[in-house]
Amino acid sequence: MTTYILRRLWQFIPTLLGVVLLVFFLFNWVGGDPAYMLAGKIANPEHIENIRRQIGVDQPYYIQLWIFVKQIATGDFGASWATNEKISAIFATRLGPSVTVLLPMLVISTLIAMAAAMLVAYRRGTLTDRAVMVGCTVGQSISILVYIIVLQYVLGYQLGWFPVQGWGRDLTENLLRYAALPIIVGVVVSLAPDIRLYRSFFLDEINQDYVRTARAKGLDETRVLGVHVLRNAAIPIVTNVLIQLPALLAGAFLIERFFSIPGIGREVILAVERSDFPVIKAVTVYVAIATMVANLAADLLYKALDPRVQLK
Amino acid sequence: MKKTVRRTAYLTCFVIGMAACSATAAAVAPKTLRVTFQAAESGFDPVKVADYYSGTVIEAMFEPLLTYDYLARPAKLVPNVAAGLPAVSDGGRTYTVALRRGIYFSDDAVFKGKPRELTAADYAYSIKRFLDPKNRSPYAFLFEGKIEGLDDLALRAKTTNRFDYDAAIPGLETPDRYTLRIRLKEADHNFAHLLAFHLTGAVAREVIEAYGENVSSHPVGTGPFVLKDYTRSSKIVLEANPRYRGKIWDFVPTDDPLDREIAARMRGKRLPQIERVEVSIMEETQSRWLAFIGGQTDMEYQLAEVATVVLTPDGKLKEDFARRGIRLQRSVDPEITYTYFNMQEKLGDQPNPLAGFTNEKIALRRAIAMAYNVDDQIRIIRKGQAVRAHYPIPAGVAGHDPNYRNGIAYAPQVANALLDRFGYRKGPDGYRTLPDGKPLVIRYSSTPSERDRQFDELMKRSLDSIGIRLEIHKDRFPELLKLENQCRIMMRGSAWIADYPDGDNFMQLLYGPNSGQSNNACYRSPEFDRRYEQARRLADGPERNKLYKEMTRLMEVHTVWIMGDSRYRNMLLQPHVVGFKKHPVFSAEWLYLDLDVNRPK
Repeated sequence: MTTYILRRLWQFIPTLLGVVLLVFFLFNWVGGDPAYMLAGKIANPEHIENIRRQIGVDQPYYIQLWIFVKQIATGDFGASWATNEKISAIFATRLGPSVTVLLPMLVISTLIAMAAAMLVAYRRGTLTDRAVMVGCTVGQSISILVYIIVLQYVLGYQLGWFPVQGWGRDLTENLLRYAALPIIVGVVVSLAPDIRLYRSFFLDEINQDYVRTARAKGLDETRVLGVHVLRNAAIPIVTNVLIQLPALLAGAFLIERFFSIPGIGREVILAVERSDFPVIKAVTVYVAIATMVANLAADLLYKALDPRVQLK
Repeated sequence: MKKTVRRTAYLTCFVIGMAACSATAAAVAPKTLRVTFQAAESGFDPVKVADYYSGTVIEAMFEPLLTYDYLARPAKLVPNVAAGLPAVSDGGRTYTVALRRGIYFSDDAVFKGKPRELTAADYAYSIKRFLDPKNRSPYAFLFEGKIEGLDDLALRAKTTNRFDYDAAIPGLETPDRYTLRIRLKEADHNFAHLLAFHLTGAVAREVIEAYGENVSSHPVGTGPFVLKDYTRSSKIVLEANPRYRGKIWDFVPTDDPLDREIAARMRGKRLPQIERVEVSIMEETQSRWLAFIGGQTDMEYQLAEVATVVLTPDGKLKEDFARRGIRLQRSVDPEITYTYFNMQEKLGDQPNPLAGFTNEKIALRRAIAMAYNVDDQIRIIRKGQAVRAHYPIPAGVAGHDPNYRNGIAYAPQVANALLDRFGYRKGPDGYRTLPDGKPLVIRYSSTPSERDRQFDELMKRSLDSIGIRLEIHKDRFPELLKLENQCRIMMRGSAWIADYPDGDNFMQLLYGPNSGQSNNACYRSPEFDRRYEQARRLADGPERNKLYKEMTRLMEVHTVWIMGDSRYRNMLLQPHVVGFKKHPVFSAEWLYLDLDVNRPK
């Protein structure tokens, strides 16, 4: 097991290097010269050169790349070009709001999707199953933007159940008052694909021999489904959930923008609009690392849940 | 049972207590104005910001020497922290400003509990900061090449890596604690506008030095509001500055009925009446719109996308909203949009078919301008929320000529005839060639945004109507700026909003030496430049206006720009907002407003 973990950790390095090269060249190729964005309405060549010098884009590419690598090694990505705010401060202040919305969203949608998926899998082929599947297909085909606009309008404005936007300083207030509607939107959006996916996991298990054996032993359906089937179907579900975890770092930019949540997703969009490379670099690297860690954790958990799995 | 009774009693007490608390809170709730920004601010260091939203907050916290009368139109300079308007001597080269005494910065830990008085040295320091290379100020151009000795100081800082703020320069002197003397390199009768520019408000040197790079989130000024709470890119809360000296609302209303109504309700009130301003950053129009009609915000103007929901086709507020007491104030922003033709003979190493002052080149540019229907731009792209710009200086800016009519009208048939006459013959494919038979392709640059795509389509349709082949060049915004600075863009749409309400701020867009900076067309006409230099030495008045008119005609004869439009600002106000009138220069009129507490929010 230790050897496996060490080997996987070792594999992080080339993967991360690939990410670094990709981000670096994409930004320099697609991003444009940030000095012109920062220069203001009227700028002479000396002014542009001064900005380029200060933010370091006048250096040869290999030096800029080396600085990037050093930043990853030290975890210090410097400060935002646009606002001068420390990147560490950006993460420290923006992660909280993103997690406040995304974590409950993930937990609630997973639990509801699992319950619904188990139900429709159990009633496979019935009208309920077909209706839910048609609903899921339709639901999946609709853009998240439509969900946000409609639910914000109906639940926030027309019915007045929730504030249409906002964020405060108190966690309880944020969670119960401001995050409620964004969480509902997020759950509604993710339910359709999750139910479809989890249904297939349950169907894989529901026809297995061990299920038939359990039923033959006289176990009631609640126990058969709730213990035996669920335990085995949970393995790919847990993997799926773990893979979604790094997204917490990237935030949910559309939801954050529409509901004015000061999260990391909104910050990323802002950074892209402002060609603020230090922020883009840091987010990309952290998400890449989190993804690799989540994948490793998923593999280890897989092994823990199913001892038959061999990690090589 | 006993337990249940006790629990119920506790709960009742708690509910009553909460109700009592909220009643008390309502009784003493500060007058709070709630507004939105559609884009995030970048910080509150006056010399480091370029965006409108940061500037708006800065305007509420810092004070320039001069300001503008709230009601007078066109905008009229009045003293702010200065005791009077500057004494201009030496033929327009020396500006002497006397400061009022007893003005203090808002309290800050840096001042160690002592009141910190504003002095002339603070303004000298604040102006110097614009040229400190370390600050890379986007508004350095305001003072570059203007003040004696300042550019040398900046040059020295580039080599020594340290800007010497203590070095005495002849251009910025403080003969006494309350007098600032500015000596210019050459006469400039409009320099006073820079002293009213909101980013030239005074900062205290010890604050800047104490907070270093974090000064952007520690603004300390002398203005009417102070920063109370700040969540970057999300929420900005300002409160009335207890150190602010206060102003009495005593503006003279014009004949405008709105002025008289405002004066009747505001005269004699001590400013600011607003005790708290809450700014929420809401990027999405739907969020801003729902927040406004849901009563969560008090003022809203950033609603261009839903203009048709709010306004009738003739620009009036729809009955539904008017019935609810919502009011609309419609004004035209002091801006112009235009499409420029590059006047350089070569774009990089490629010949530019649009360049030149020969008749055939002027005819080509003129024909393109005549084929472009600005009214379609306003109707389709602006959804009717703009007016045609005829003059390079927009309304509300000194030097604007309301009677001037652009001589290049939409006339595709005449444009075709003009091209035929000058030898731009159509080939078998229906597209024209140059008079020498070489292919004629016009390259129009734009960003890959949805809005620019609409402009692309309109331009393509226009040029197709006169048989000119159009090639759309798409690039990222910073790259377009870079190419523009190198005079390598053949044709592109552009816009300019007033930094200060003086015609010079617009006419400099066509001044030859500004090529590659603000003169995107890289237009170099000795006749235009001579008049511009002459105009720069004149104060606002008929003599300067005459020159501006000649310059505009000249630009039109040469057909350097296709004049575009100026957009409407549709400000929606909740019924309880009192005293608002859009000022052509101010972006934060909060100082002059009040909230009618007797009208429900």
